[in-house]
Amino acid sequence: MRKMWWRHAALIVISIIMLAPFYWLLKTAVTSENIYEYPPHLLPVRPQLFNFVDVWYLIPFPRYLFNSIVVSLIAVAGNLVLNAMAGFALTLPFVGRRSVIVLLLSCTLIPFQATIIPAYLITAHLGLLNSYLGLALPLLSTIVCIFIFKASFDAVPRSLIDAARIDGLGEMRILLRVMLPLSTPAIATNIVLSFIWSWNNFLWPLIITRSQDMQTLPLGLARFLSYMEDTTGALYAFVVMVLAPGLLVFLMAQSAFMRGLTTGATKG
Amino acid sequence: MRLRRVLLSRFFIVPAVLLLGTGVWNVYVARHDHGLLEGRVIDAAGKPVAGATVILSVHDFVTQVEKARTRTDATGQFRFDNNPSHLIQLQAQDGALASPRVTIRLWFRSQDRVVAQPLRLAPRA
Repeated sequence: MRKMWWRHAALIVISIIMLAPFYWLLKTAVTSENIYEYPPHLLPVRPQLFNFVDVWYLIPFPRYLFNSIVVSLIAVAGNLVLNAMAGFALTLPFVGRRSVIVLLLSCTLIPFQATIIPAYLITAHLGLLNSYLGLALPLLSTIVCIFIFKASFDAVPRSLIDAARIDGLGEMRILLRVMLPLSTPAIATNIVLSFIWSWNNFLWPLIITRSQDMQTLPLGLARFLSYMEDTTGALYAFVVMVLAPGLLVFLMAQSAFMRGLTTGATKG
Repeated sequence: MRLRRVLLSRFFIVPAVLLLGTGVWNVYVARHDHGLLEGRVIDAAGKPVAGATVILSVHDFVTQVEKARTRTDATGQFRFDNNPSHLIQLQAQDGALASPRVTIRLWFRSQDRVVAQPLRLAPRA
């Protein structure tokens, strides 16, 4: 019992340390305090929410928000469809399966920055520059999420799949009717990861967008930072508004997300 | 049973509450965004000032642009009916007298508002 107490105390301290930057961000967003002020105020002095109103009107925030939502929804939908099919394919026996898995795993070692020129050229060739589909294209399928689906599908008993085959179900219907309903944690993990990666993506939208109308929230944040001065409160309010949807999605799917990440972790 | 489960899940309740809140807020905005702005101008003794000029400037982080002018009536009241912004400054002037610039922050563009604190005229610095 005594041991548990210390463990909890240590976890609380670590949590406070990790949450402190978020608290400071929120505090600055509602007070407009100078972040370099010394001594700093721990509690907000005269808090108000007008910085959020300023952000909404002084830049095209609704447009950035709409663009980010559309791109993230496309990325999430693409991830669910393509990753589920790829993950299921990797659970089936076929010639060269091991090589495909090794190839995919080795591809995770290549940073996106190294492939950005071919990615740009392919997107340009498809005529998708400065479009929502083009913005979501590199995140339509991600290798990590494919393996999350694969781990989840591997955990489904083979006898269940064999029974479905004997009942006459094709591979696609097995995926839709048997595998996916048993893999809700993997689906939640895919949704959370693809949403957050797409929502926070900065480099790819910076490269392929040509007009301000197609920019997403992270680009808007950079733009806001570049031409607004002496606006610490509004800047931090903007950061809070960019962070909030990702946090909300994560908190909603938190428990399933954790299960999805640990599915198959103890296998083999 | 299945529908009930879906309706009670957080994946339905959270977006539904957000959508409802957004809808209610937008209805409120639509009913209160006529750009009406009312207030009062007084002198140093606290008496209403008739015929004073009140200047409305739209203010942002970078610029401040005069948008409208009006005059106070016999009771010192002024009224603008075309405020286009959410962040404005008001100043009253009457000959050698002027009030300090008062910054007014609104919750949305063109929000109808009665300025509670009167603009107090004093000799210009």
